[in-house]
Amino acid sequence: MKNLLIAVVLLASSTSVLAADTPIVGNVQTRCLITTDTNGVFGNPLPSKLSTASADGGVVPVVRYDVTLADAYLAKVTTPTAFSASPSLSDSVTWTGSTAVSKTSDAAMSGYEAAKVTYGSTTQFDLTKAGSTWFSSTATAVYGVSKSFPGGSYTAIVLAECIAK
Amino acid sequence: MIRLVVALLAIYATSAHSEYLYGLTGNMAGAGHTWGMNIGPSGSQSLKINGVFYQYTPTKNTEDDMLVHVRNKRVGGGYIFSSTDDWSGLQGGIPITKGFVIDNLPIELWGDGSIDIEGTGSVVDANVIYSYKYNNDCLTPMSDPSCSGYIDAVLSMMGESKVEVYDPLADENIADVIDDKAELDEDVQQEDEEKAEAKDRLQRMLSGVNDSILYANVSSQNLLMFAMSRNNNLNPYYDKKLSGGTYKETVVLDGGQLPDNKKGARAGLAQQILHTKMVNSQYEPKE
Repeated sequence: MKNLLIAVVLLASSTSVLAADTPIVGNVQTRCLITTDTNGVFGNPLPSKLSTASADGGVVPVVRYDVTLADAYLAKVTTPTAFSASPSLSDSVTWTGSTAVSKTSDAAMSGYEAAKVTYGSTTQFDLTKAGSTWFSSTATAVYGVSKSFPGGSYTAIVLAECIAK
Repeated sequence: MIRLVVALLAIYATSAHSEYLYGLTGNMAGAGHTWGMNIGPSGSQSLKINGVFYQYTPTKNTEDDMLVHVRNKRVGGGYIFSSTDDWSGLQGGIPITKGFVIDNLPIELWGDGSIDIEGTGSVVDANVIYSYKYNNDCLTPMSDPSCSGYIDAVLSMMGESKVEVYDPLADENIADVIDDKAELDEDVQQEDEEKAEAKDRLQRMLSGVNDSILYANVSSQNLLMFAMSRNNNLNPYYDKKLSGGTYKETVVLDGGQLPDNKKGARAGLAQQILHTKMVNSQYEPKE
């Protein structure tokens, strides 16, 4: 019994010596960079309406995609469907929004706008060229049925994503 | 002399350091699709272009071919900057913006700029901006040794102006000041000598006093030492004691009789006679 125990211990110690963790290290260089070019501002043309349109006194948010690898990424921009911060609201808010190419760094990117795909509040662009593309989003929120928004600060978020194809 | 000045100026110019200022132009294409390169502060020297940024919106039909050239002529021929956007088969309507970093090319090399279109279509909302840096210190060549033409400007100024050698010793004001200073120095020197002499006298007097004090101290110390040693020398005698304390009579009268000393009696009688004679002699009348 004693010899068996010693043998088991030796066997266990010998196998533990043979084990080794070999790390594999790698770095992935960022090839799609998203930068907020312009922060949006809600205008309040009507008591029941908040809008980023310049005609409504707002500022359209602009986000820039810098892509260094062509035809490798999709740009997904989602306009807000709710306030991330606001006074307490007792009624429903109706959201509308859209995203469009506002500026490019290459003439070949001019087809992005025509080729965009929209579903729900999300607009998807195929970034087939390397370079910078500016996307502007409009967002409009209407409270209830012509109901006045409570006074306070309202914040909404435009979600911009870069999805590898 | 001039060679020395040139050499010194050259050394100073190579070691001098000047900082650049940076700026941006306005929209050079705001008034049309061609523009001159009169940029930067008026008269600024060493102006160099370090960036070009442009933006425009093409207007065209998608099927049309169109090339848009944004460029600047190079003085002496060719183009110093040229960027071409090929919109052929592409839709217009979306602004394009581009930026370029330029390797600090001197403004002297930059000719007129333009937006040229080949094909069918047009460009609207064009915006061309140059970034530049310049050295404001060289608005006049003599404002900084690093400016080109600094040495020439200095030499030119030396040649144009009449150089008068200034002899400070010939200046009456300076001569008066020197004389006043000499007199003042002499007075001060005399005063110093008097002070030194008075100080010497005082030191000598104090030295005599010091000697007297020292002598007095030595004398008093000697007396004190004498008194102390005397005390030490006498005390043993005071403390001396005779051993025994009693001395008994040891002379034994032989025979029990003590005879008269005849010899002593005779000597005593002779002395007495002589004494009497002397005493009586003073009463005897003088002759």
